[in-house]
Order: sequence, then structure tokens, then C-alpha cells
Amino acid sequence: MKNRDINTEDLIRSLSRDVPRVPRGALGRRLALGMVAGALVTALLVAGVLGIRPDLHSAMHGFSFWMKWTYTASLGIGSVMAVLRLARPNPQSLRALWWLSVPVLLLAGIGIGELASTPSRAWLAMWLGASWKVCPWLVLTLAMPIFIGLLWSFRRMAPTRLREAGAVAGLAAGAWAATIYCLHCPEVSAIFVLTWYSLGILLAAGIGALLGPKLMRW
Amino acid sequence: MQASEAQLKAWMIAGLGGDATAHELLLRALVPLLTAFYRRRMRDADSDVEDLVQETLISVHGKRATYDRDRPFTAWLYAIARYRLIDHVRRRRLSVPIEDVETILMTEGFEEALAARMDVEALLSTLSPKQARAIRDTQVEGLSIAEAAQQAGLGESDVKVSVHRGLKALAARLRGESH
Repeated sequence: MKNRDINTEDLIRSLSRDVPRVPRGALGRRLALGMVAGALVTALLVAGVLGIRPDLHSAMHGFSFWMKWTYTASLGIGSVMAVLRLARPNPQSLRALWWLSVPVLLLAGIGIGELASTPSRAWLAMWLGASWKVCPWLVLTLAMPIFIGLLWSFRRMAPTRLREAGAVAGLAAGAWAATIYCLHCPEVSAIFVLTWYSLGILLAAGIGALLGPKLMRW
Repeated sequence: MQASEAQLKAWMIAGLGGDATAHELLLRALVPLLTAFYRRRMRDADSDVEDLVQETLISVHGKRATYDRDRPFTAWLYAIARYRLIDHVRRRRLSVPIEDVETILMTEGFEEALAARMDVEALLSTLSPKQARAIRDTQVEGLSIAEAAQQAGLGESDVKVSVHRGLKALAARLRGESH
């Protein structure tokens, strides 16, 4: 017993030798660092391997480009808020995650408007676009660097709900990957984005949920 | 004397500001708290308790950045302590089969401890739940009145009265039975 007491005492003394200042917002900065580093890799992949869409400049004056960006970026912002909470051992309520349904519903509303103003024989082509087979997989692949960046950030975090933490980290990675993928993807219809982008993002979240308990342990 | 939430939080925040002395005071004050926490949940495993306390101190130190200065310190602390406990139990389950305490007592030849324990439980079950808990916490588990009160969410005098009345009732019952 005596011996062990001394060990704890020694431990405390050695831990107290290394007490760097931790500024407010250190946690957010660490998460941002991991995400931005991952997003840079994703952006390089989009620019170098897939190629930026040649009409990007004119597309940026159109509605559908901003519709896509607003959708993916709002999902990205919402899920990063949840990531920030789940990085702490005693996370605050996650009920605010319901707000993520707002962009989904808005996009669905736009999609219904599109369908209403399109002859029904063109619906299938509009829904599948030119890239439905690759879009979800590309979003998922592009999410990996960001997810890895987040895992790096999480090595300093203390998540206790590992599955949820993994899921929202995957969701954030997927949403930001989709946002970057918009620089390449020329699809214009809301129902395309709503289906295939969302599918890629959800796949990323699902893989995050699977990996969280294994990779985020501490 | 158990350090208060306000005191622990003050040390934690000073430590986050780079004050190594405050950080050391904090870690030192956490040792009895964590020891009580784990001992209450890991009976008959003192070396595990010691390990868990040390692992938790390392986590508290290493994960300082995840503490939010605007929220209670002890909620953060016990969230970490609970995680360490779950992790510990899960790891042990993977490598070492754990029998329940009753089985261990039997195989190790401590049936009388088992019987004594059952007698206490049988006696306590004749009391009101509140009295039984107060006695179990203070007399069996060895918590202080303050700790027991905090755990049960009651006032200290309430716990004291419960212990007093409960013991009196038990004494009366034992006298009645032995006569």
C-alpha cells in the first residue's frame, strides 16, 4: 500500500512538471486544424485528379451552384457544431442536430418545384443526371482525408460517446467533402443533390459510426 | 475534508492558465475523490482502484483542453472517471474472466464473508429504502456522512437522522429476535 502511494505521488509530481497554458478555444482550433488539413488534401484531389469544372466561373453566377453549396455547407457547419460537443467527455445536448433537417427539407422543397415544372418523362434523367453511379462514391472517398484529419484532432479530445462522435465526424467529413466536390461536379438538379450527395455523406457518417468505437478510444 | 466544486474548478482554471502549482493541488485533491469513486464500484480490487486512479489522473492531465471553463468541473471529472471505468472493465473482460463477487468469495473459502454480507442485506431490507441506503453507505461502504448525503441528494442532517433511526430499529429487531 505504502509503495503504491508513493507511485501516485510520483505520478502527480511528474505530471505537474508539464503544465502548458491552454487558451480558451484551444479545442476548436485543434479540430479546425485537422479538418482544414484534410480539406486541403481533398481539394488537391479534386483539382488534380477530377479536375475543376471548366465552367466554374459562369456556374458561380447561377442558382444551382449556390443551392448545392448552401446545402452541403450548412450540413457541414451543423455537424461540426455536434463534433465540437462530442469532443468533450460530458457533451451538451445534441438536440440541435435536428436543425440539420432544415437544409434537407428546403432542398426537397426545391426538388418538388423542379419536378412540377418538368415533364414527367424527363424526371428520371434529371434524377440520375450523368454521374449518379460515381457521385456517392466520390463524395465518400473525398471524405476520407477530412475524416483522417478529424481523427488526428480527436487524439487530444475526450469523447465518451464514441459511436456518435464517429458518426458526426463522418457526417462533417462527408458534408465538407461534398462542398469541395461541388467545384468539380456539374450536376444541376436539386433531386440529384438530395439523393446522391446525401447518400455519399450518409455513407461517410455510417463508416464513421462503425470506426468511432475502435479509432477514437483513449 | 473533501475539496469543493468551486475550489477544484478554481485550481483547474488556474492550471489551464499555466499555473503548475494549482494543477498539482488539483491532482492531489482528486486522489481521494477518485479512490472513493472507484472503491465504491470495484470492491475487492484495491490494486485496480489504484491503477484506475492513476490512469484517470493521466487522462485528466492529458485531456485538460476538453474542459469547458464555463461548465462544472466535477461533471467533467466524473465523465472521464466513468469512461475510464467502463474502458477498464471492458479490457479486463476481454482478457480475464471475472466471476461475480459471491462466486469469488466461495472459491476463495470466504463463505462466512458471503453469509455476513447476506445477513446485513437481509436486515437492511427490513428498513425503509432511505434508512437502508444511509446505513449501507455510511456503515458498510464507509462513506462519510457528507459523501453519503451528496450521493443520495439529501441533506447531511437527513442522512444522520436516517442512520440513527435505522440503527435503532435494527437494534430493536435484533433484541427481539435474540430473546
